[in-house]
Order: sequence, then structure tokens, then C-alpha cells
Amino acid sequence: MWFRKSVLVIPGRVIALLFGITLLLFPLITADEAILRIVTFAAIFSLYAVSWDTLSGYTGQLSLGHALFFGVAAYASALLDLHFELSVWLTIPIGSCVGALIGLIVGLPALRLRGIYLGLVTLAFPIILSGIIFYFSDFTGGEAGLYGLSRLAEDKVTAYYIVIAIVMCSIFIMFKFTDAKSRILRTGLLLRAIREDEMTARASGIDTIKYKLLAFAISGFFAGIAGGLYAHYIRVAGPSTLELIFSIQVVLWAIFGGMGTIYGPVAGVFILYPLTEIIRFYPHGEEVRFILLSLILILSLLFMPEGITVWVRDKIEQECTRCKVINAATRRTCRACRAPMYLTKKENANQGKE
Amino acid sequence: MSLYLEVKNLSVLYDRAIVLNGLSLHVNSGELVSLVGPNGAGKSTLLNAMSGLIKWQHDTLKGTVSGKITLNGSVKFDGAELINLPAHEIARKGIILCPERGRPFREMTVQENLEVGALFLDKKVADDNLEKVYALFPVLKKRSSQVAGTLSGGERTMLSIGRSLMSEPKILLIDEPSVGLAPLIKDSLFERIRDVQGMGVTILLTEQDVSFAFDLASRNYVISRGKIIAEGTSQELLANELIRETYLGL
Repeated sequence: MWFRKSVLVIPGRVIALLFGITLLLFPLITADEAILRIVTFAAIFSLYAVSWDTLSGYTGQLSLGHALFFGVAAYASALLDLHFELSVWLTIPIGSCVGALIGLIVGLPALRLRGIYLGLVTLAFPIILSGIIFYFSDFTGGEAGLYGLSRLAEDKVTAYYIVIAIVMCSIFIMFKFTDAKSRILRTGLLLRAIREDEMTARASGIDTIKYKLLAFAISGFFAGIAGGLYAHYIRVAGPSTLELIFSIQVVLWAIFGGMGTIYGPVAGVFILYPLTEIIRFYPHGEEVRFILLSLILILSLLFMPEGITVWVRDKIEQECTRCKVINAATRRTCRACRAPMYLTKKENANQGKE
Repeated sequence: MSLYLEVKNLSVLYDRAIVLNGLSLHVNSGELVSLVGPNGAGKSTLLNAMSGLIKWQHDTLKGTVSGKITLNGSVKFDGAELINLPAHEIARKGIILCPERGRPFREMTVQENLEVGALFLDKKVADDNLEKVYALFPVLKKRSSQVAGTLSGGERTMLSIGRSLMSEPKILLIDEPSVGLAPLIKDSLFERIRDVQGMGVTILLTEQDVSFAFDLASRNYVISRGKIIAEGTSQELLANELIRETYLGL
């Protein structure tokens, strides 16, 4: 009953549900390892993108060096695995905690810097770290990275399910953490208030320092989980996880999907990442793919500036102006209060003109 | 009546520019006090200093030109010194600032804006306060799911007073409530501020509109170049020819 009332009537939730089910049944649909590999990577990267969204989309702390958390955790997991031979179930959580710790350290300058200045500082951190990694190459593997890590699981399908389960749980936690409508956790509202106007937030009794650091730590932690999964999945932790392009890519995915929505970055990754990988299979794909990707981004920013998910959501859902319940766009009357929906459409159209 | 809020010898310097120059004033419990003066007299700086925002600006921008701030003096509330407390703790003690032009969280709905004011309070208390605020400002209830950036100037001011009331204030510091408002809206705001005072909240407000302030307040300060130059009831101040002509322009 609850299911029918609160999921099946809202198109966005139906899509999310179908998407989740598809992911869970995916190994049954295809046994092609290459495709399974792409989807596994997409899942890991979507966790990474969502962690960026928590920090930059919701809290407004622009991170242009998010690969730092991903890479640090990948290296930490790898070192723990190779030197201490810990199990995967220990290396990934410890690696993520290292990510959270690094998040706190990067968060310290964020207490004084804003916007693009913060972005530039965060940009510098992964570059510093890759410098350190190349310097201590005996210990870190240098250019080649650390390889030969333990597998997540013996076969690809089990590994796929492990990744999917961890990613889904993590994204759900971040969804709740940033949900402004939540009645239990108030952090969502709090972080948005900090993004909108830090001064007013402080004047309203919010300890913005504490919560900004919390956002950095949480974001670092979950990016760290993604990094740990990635390292154990490909069995290498290399300097490519710290590269500039990898930091920028997460920003592009999130903006394309829709910043500050959680589901946006997930959609962004699952659309753009497989696309760039599939193009590679075609002749000249390697050369063309970034041109094509850039074109898609430019067009999407022109026509869907708030991201593809927000654009689609506005097409398939509408909010009743009287009782604020979300309805499918095809309904003529509100499902809760029976108010005619064409009023809503008319008002929206008028608002657009003003 | 007790000495509730006491500002003594407060000085604020932005780099070498003196904004507040050893300013002293006090507010008694339950009073509605106004602070009138021209642009650049230091009204907003005073309220920001009292609510801890000047200190915050000083701490976060240390080392930059805009961080060269000197803050001296004492602000006492109920006997406790506030001058070195961080802004959020001052707010939690019940000294709440309504910034100029409301300064709402523009991309959040009216209801979310209000809820932010009570985030440090218990959820149940917050719900009660929300009811109270909606009862006082029915227009906010009507707009509850509207994004705050689309509100009119008067509604924004009401929203900011509403958000302050959510935090269960003991003293409201309202920065220029009537700025840029049409006469009719001013009148209704006037009544609402009276209502807030009726709820037992002490109010200190700054104004450029002298008649608006004098009609509301029981006691007034005239501020000029960072100093209090006159104090008294409206009648007393208006009776003083020099002050009336030089500073009030009436």
C-alpha cells in the first residue's frame, strides 16, 4: 500500500526503481564481461560523483581536486593490502577513513576561502600528493603504481554485486544526509543554508565551521570508498587516480546530470561514462570521443542548464500548487487534494512570462 | 527594569577608517529602542558587531585587506560578556540579528528559511514556533513553498523577522526594517514589530526613516560618525532644535 501510494504514482521514483532493478538483474541480461566491467566502473564513479555533489553541490564548497580523496583511499587500501595483507573488508573502510581525514585537512583552508579560491586550493592538493608519490617511488610504485592487489571476489559477477551493494547503500546514506525535507536528519537543510548564505546561517545559530568540516569529511569518506573499490577491482592503485582530468571529469558528470540532486550525478555518470567507453570500440573512437563529449556538454548546458535529470523531472512531474504533492505530469487533477492541475500549468506558464 | 544589554566603549576600525568610535548604549528588558542616523554612521556595523559577525569576518579574512578589522570594547548581555563569543553562540543566547533587506536564503523555500532559524532547537519546539510565526505573518504561510528569492522586499523583511522568531530570541536586532518599502507595507510592518514586542521580545532597531522609528520606539539614540550624539524619547529629541535640524532633517 505504502509502495503504491508513494512510489508508483511519481514518475521520477518509478524510473529510479526500474533503474535499481535493472542494475541488480544486469548480470542476467548480459554475460559479456566488457559490458559488465563498464557498468561496474560506472557504479563506482557514480559514488565518486555523488560524494562530490554532497560537498560542492549541496554545501557549496567548490572542490576541483576531488580525485585526491579517491586516490588517497586507493593508495591507502593498496598499501594495507600489500604490506599488511589485510582483507578487502578492512582495507576499504580504513582507506575511506584516511579519505575522511584528508577531507578534514583540505577542509581547514575552506574555513577561510570561498568559491573559485577554494577551488584552486583544492586543485593543488592532488598535484602535491602525486609529487610525493613519485618522490617515494620505492614505497608507492611511482609511475607504474601498486599492482597485484587482492580481488574483491573470485569471479566478476560476485565482484559486480559487491560493488553495486556498497555503492547503493553509500548513495542512500548521502541522499538522507543531504535531504532537506528529512524530518530526522537536519543536516540537509543546514548544509544548504551554508551554501546559500554563510553569514545568515551563522547569525541563525549554526556553527558553520563544524558543519563545513563535516561535509568535507563525509565527502572524503565516500569518495574514499569509491577509490578503495576501484583499486581492488582493477587490482592497481596508480597515479592516474590523482590526475587533473579525473578531478575535472567528476565536475562535468555532476553538472551534466544535475548538481545538488544526488540522483543527477548518478545519471550523469551512467549516461556519459558508458558513452565515452563505447565510442572507443568504433574506428577513430579514441580521437573523437572527447570532441563528442564536449559537444554533448556544451549543448546540454545550453538547453538543460540545471542538468539532464532536472530537465526530465520538470517534464514528467508537477507539483500541485495547493497541497504541494508531486503528481505525474499527465494528471488533470491532483492525486491528493483533487484540485484541477491545469491551474498549476497555467500559473507556471505565466510565471515564465514575467 | 534591569540593564539587559549594555554596549560600552565599542570601537570598530576597518583598516584605518574608524566606523565605531567608543560607542556606548544600553537596552532595558522589554524595551523597543531605535537607533537613527544617516548612511555610513555605523548602524549596521554596530548590530553586526553585537551579533558577532564582525569578529567572524575578522577571523576568517585575517591577512587580507578586508580582514584588517580592529574590534574593541564590551558588549554585555544579562551580565555576560559577548565580545569574544562566536556568532552562532551569541545567536543561541537569544540575541538574533535580522540583516538589512532580510537577506533570505534565496534558493530555499519560505518554510525552509524559517526552519533554519530553529535548527539548534528541539524539533517539537521548532514546530510550535513555526505555527506562531505563521499566525503572526499569514502572508508567509501563503508563500510557504515559494522560493524566497521571489519574495517582495516587505515579505523578505517579514521572513527575516519570522526566521529570527523561530530562534526564540530574547533580543531582536533589526537592521533598517523599513528600507525601500512602500508606505502601506511599512504600516503593516510597523504593526508586526509592535506585535513582536508584545510577545515579550526586546527590540533594538536601526532606521533612516526617523518618523517610522520615533513612532515605534520608547527611547531613541541618534548616531553620527560612530558615536551616540543624543539619546531620549521622541518628544525630547524633537524638542531639541539643533538635533532636529542637523541630524534628523525634520
